[in-house]
Amino acid sequence: MKVKELTKGILRENPVFIIMLGMCPTLGVTTQVINALGMGAGVIFVLTCSNILIAALKNIIPDSVRIPCYIVIIASFVTIVEMFLHAFAPSIYAALGVYLPLIVVNCIILGRAEAFASKNSVADSLLDGIGMGLGFTLALTLIALIREVLGKGTITVFAIGGFNGVISVPLLKDWPVRVMALAPGALLLMGYLKAFFNRLSEKKAQNQEAAK
Amino acid sequence: MKAYAKTALVLCLICACAALVLSLANALTAPRIKDYEDGVLKSALEAVSGGKAVGDYVPVEDNPVVSGYYPILPSGYILSLRANGYGGEITLLAAYDAKGVLTAAKLVSDSETPGLGKRAEESWYMDKFIGKGTDMPVRKNMLSASDAEAVSGASVTFTGVSRALLAGSMFVSMKEAN
Repeated sequence: MKVKELTKGILRENPVFIIMLGMCPTLGVTTQVINALGMGAGVIFVLTCSNILIAALKNIIPDSVRIPCYIVIIASFVTIVEMFLHAFAPSIYAALGVYLPLIVVNCIILGRAEAFASKNSVADSLLDGIGMGLGFTLALTLIALIREVLGKGTITVFAIGGFNGVISVPLLKDWPVRVMALAPGALLLMGYLKAFFNRLSEKKAQNQEAAK
Repeated sequence: MKAYAKTALVLCLICACAALVLSLANALTAPRIKDYEDGVLKSALEAVSGGKAVGDYVPVEDNPVVSGYYPILPSGYILSLRANGYGGEITLLAAYDAKGVLTAAKLVSDSETPGLGKRAEESWYMDKFIGKGTDMPVRKNMLSASDAEAVSGASVTFTGVSRALLAGSMFVSMKEAN
């Protein structure tokens, strides 16, 4: 078991900012922080479970039908998430809408199944699933936080007791930058964040080169 | 031949296991989902009835949009409507007076895109249709500039909802005429 399998997905091989996978839900559900957290939790569960099962069955699944088998496994876990969210967290189920069933075709999940779980041990695949899922969730939450604060002047999290789950940001609540709440704002922000993470990667590579 | 049989057997076994696990998950969640959906329908009925007494549900068989109605006492109807949205079927409850004029409407279920079509769930969305009958705005150029801007990015949802509301108004007008 290698700990780097857990940490690589968070920054070094972040699925959103570095590998650029799962762009559709990344741009679509990041209108509110709560949507990003709900989507992220769903992806962590599906990615971890499918990685474990695919790694465990890698010697049994014939190569010629591996993709249909992966899709059946992933779709089953997504349907389970969908049923449980509908039953126990209906507000998140309603907010995620069509993006929830679309986790089945999320490139990150099928990509990790094909590129990692089908070639590595169950323990490493478990760590890879959790790490990549956490990286995806952190990326979604960061984008959603910036978009919601600038675009609506609020931060929407889970309602607890008397707290309704909505934190208002002074000034921005009355004068929001509306484009950030819309699709063009998501694309603009994604571009800036990608540039920032590219710069970080370049700087790290330059430091490593200088150290040699 | 043997290799094909093994491949088919593995695929069948995986599918059978998936079906078994899903049936267990369904057995655990279905009663709670039913309770939740009944609650949503009840609160939607209360919201659109405006506190008036509502009769028992009457199913409608031969209408592609109107799936049934609740008579409002003494007059008017709450229709259960099916609309075509961007993410699939939208179900909504719409209250009409006896002349077919919309008095209230609320989405009950949908799979629209968050941030775009999902805005149809918000209370302000239906304001542009309230007070309209067969003159229901079904195209964006029939709306005011601010209303047209509010539905931009979700034209399919707007068209689906507005056409369903228009069909509901025509249903009530024809029913009253008969």
